[in-house]
Amino acid sequence: MNQQKPEYLRPALIAGAIAGVLSGLPFVSAGNCLCCLWIVGGAALAVNLLAKNSGVVLTSSDGAIVGALTGIVAAVVSALMAIPLRPFNMELARRVIGKFSELGTDMPSNLDGFLDSGSGILSPGWFLLSLFLSATVFTVVGVLGGIIGVSLFGRKKAQASPPTAPLPSPPGSGDAV
Amino acid sequence: MLRPGISRTALAVYLLTVAGTAIWLSAIFLAPVLAGRGSAGAARIIYAAFSPICHQIPGRCFTFHGHPLAVCGRCLGIYVGFAAGLVLYPFVRGFSKVELPSIRVFLLLTLPMAVDGAAGILGIWASPIGVRFATGIVWGTVLPFFFVTGLADLFLTRRKKAAARTLEKIRVNNVE
Repeated sequence: MNQQKPEYLRPALIAGAIAGVLSGLPFVSAGNCLCCLWIVGGAALAVNLLAKNSGVVLTSSDGAIVGALTGIVAAVVSALMAIPLRPFNMELARRVIGKFSELGTDMPSNLDGFLDSGSGILSPGWFLLSLFLSATVFTVVGVLGGIIGVSLFGRKKAQASPPTAPLPSPPGSGDAV
Repeated sequence: MLRPGISRTALAVYLLTVAGTAIWLSAIFLAPVLAGRGSAGAARIIYAAFSPICHQIPGRCFTFHGHPLAVCGRCLGIYVGFAAGLVLYPFVRGFSKVELPSIRVFLLLTLPMAVDGAAGILGIWASPIGVRFATGIVWGTVLPFFFVTGLADLFLTRRKKAAARTLEKIRVNNVE
């Protein structure tokens, strides 16, 4: 069995940075509304990079680890991007909600106050809370994306590897763990 | 004492995932309840927690106690589907398998939501919230079969490595 340990950090940094940028850009960030598309896609991309650069057959645990790291990196990158883009995002949200109001959609009564407070300077406490929440969510979603990525990309090495003779199983062994 | 063939690690991961899903779904419904009771600050925190992963457009959210849920109809369908998948998990898969399910099943169940989402983005049609909810449920149902299995494999692998390291230390100590 190949004991080489895959290098998780570099694929996670690359894919996480891409996912974080896409999650932080106005308009483009709406992709995350499609089932966290950028995070799941970023984690799957990380697995793909890991599979290409690694000499070992990837398991679902490898996908979970690199996916989680990708989610964390994406959360940090998108949070940092949100700092200068926040007033623009709030104005965009105001215009979208205004459009829905024109179409007759009922809006929550406290929404204007929420948008007004969000247009101001972001407090450090709110920034850290927002970062913690998005990191938690993106990590969980990244784990899922990484595991799915292993199903998509991680088994090709196993299929490409030459067949080896099966090892005789020791007497009395079972499947239970 | 667990029945033979049941992985204790997989069962623990499954139960933790069930607990996490229950908390997640509760938070989605708690936000409008808090908003309705005047706890705007607390409601805002919950809405903010879900904002990175959902547009939360009120016209596309189900309402509860007169306020929109913390996520849209499609996202709610995904999470409800995830919960449904967790209910099915012990019967369909059990806790002894470590292989991931077929990716073809995943792609097949993703198709309705992908088609509906793409059609909406391209302006071909605007599906009602019920269709979004239903397509979300279909996709969400398959996710636990990857999530729980993959996480169980992660913790199982780590436990085996830790056990191997301990055995190696004992062997080295015995040799010395």
